[in-house]
Amino acid sequence: MNSTNRGANRAVILLAGLVLLAAGLSAAAVGALASVRDGYTEQAPGVVSSVTEALKATPLGGTGHSWLWLAAAALLLVLVILFVVFIFRQGGGHTRTLLSEKPTEHGRTVVDSAVAEQLLQESLATHPELVASHVSTYAVKGSSVLKVSVSCRRGVSPADARDLVEAQLLALDELLGSSIPALIQVSGGFRVRTAGATRLA
Amino acid sequence: MSTTPLYRRLNRRETHSPLSGLAIVLAVLAILVLAYLGTEFVLRAFGFAPLLVAPQALAQAVVNAPAYPAWTLIAGGIVAAIIGLVLVIVAVTGARRARHTLTSERAATVIDNEVIASALARHAASAAHTSADNTSVSVSHRTAVVRVTPASGAAVDAAAVTAAVDEQLRSYDLKPSIRSRVIISTEGKVGA
Repeated sequence: MNSTNRGANRAVILLAGLVLLAAGLSAAAVGALASVRDGYTEQAPGVVSSVTEALKATPLGGTGHSWLWLAAAALLLVLVILFVVFIFRQGGGHTRTLLSEKPTEHGRTVVDSAVAEQLLQESLATHPELVASHVSTYAVKGSSVLKVSVSCRRGVSPADARDLVEAQLLALDELLGSSIPALIQVSGGFRVRTAGATRLA
Repeated sequence: MSTTPLYRRLNRRETHSPLSGLAIVLAVLAILVLAYLGTEFVLRAFGFAPLLVAPQALAQAVVNAPAYPAWTLIAGGIVAAIIGLVLVIVAVTGARRARHTLTSERAATVIDNEVIASALARHAASAAHTSADNTSVSVSHRTAVVRVTPASGAAVDAAAVTAAVDEQLRSYDLKPSIRSRVIISTEGKVGA
């Protein structure tokens, strides 16, 4: 429902997994296989000395130290910023506008999400089958979608819960004169387990 | 207004985990490692003393790897590889949540398995003439297992319980559909 980029999440997990897998397998190979160990012992010092050469060849002003250090640090900083942006991109996607009609010669109509949220919440609160309900509005692919999450009492049939919420949504459609796409989420949880069982047939 | 593709998308997203928690933890670890290395690089560039290890010493430690006892390399490598493999598997598999979708005209509907189980338990209990506390139901992706403990001395009609459960499941019209399995306990309970 929220606008989390799930592909990016999976990409980050996949990348971390591949890095660990590759590092782990190479460490194990160096430890276990004599041929790999010999190859590593032969090659590794050469790599380090060529890096050292490059560092010596790129002195920074009068300090005598290489500017490559700073370039590498800047690269790492960019990566850090990318990861921070990635973390703060999680979740979100709420919207405060439910409906925004095209302007006519008489003006323009904008309906706030709060209208639908409060109407639905009020009417759902009167139903004894539900322990709790919460309504929020998200922008999904450019359109506003209502999310109605309800917790039923123990034993309430999911189909009944759906019908109950759908009836309220249809009443809302009637009131607004247009149909807002909606998601109904029926959940259990702690409050459901501690609340009494239903007395409905 | 056709909302079917939108509802399909909502149903898919609500029945699968976004894996945000794991992704955030990994991103934070990556940030810590990268920020540490970056700090050491900057300190080195201006010739200050390193925080923990100078970059050259770090590189030398990696080069010296074959000198370490072989078993530490193998054990550490295998542990890292297994963690990596688990992450790869998590990244490419479903990450399904314990939820089902319900066919519905007006809205996309997702139901926690827990809610389905408690509704089934109520109907199974009334078909078995026992209390709801003596029926336990567990609902998974494809099956619902209903366990009924009868009251001592009273027989439970397994066929009636199965019929009641199946009738309920049919009326919910869940996706993916659930098959039921009813198990009547051979030992009763006094006062059930």
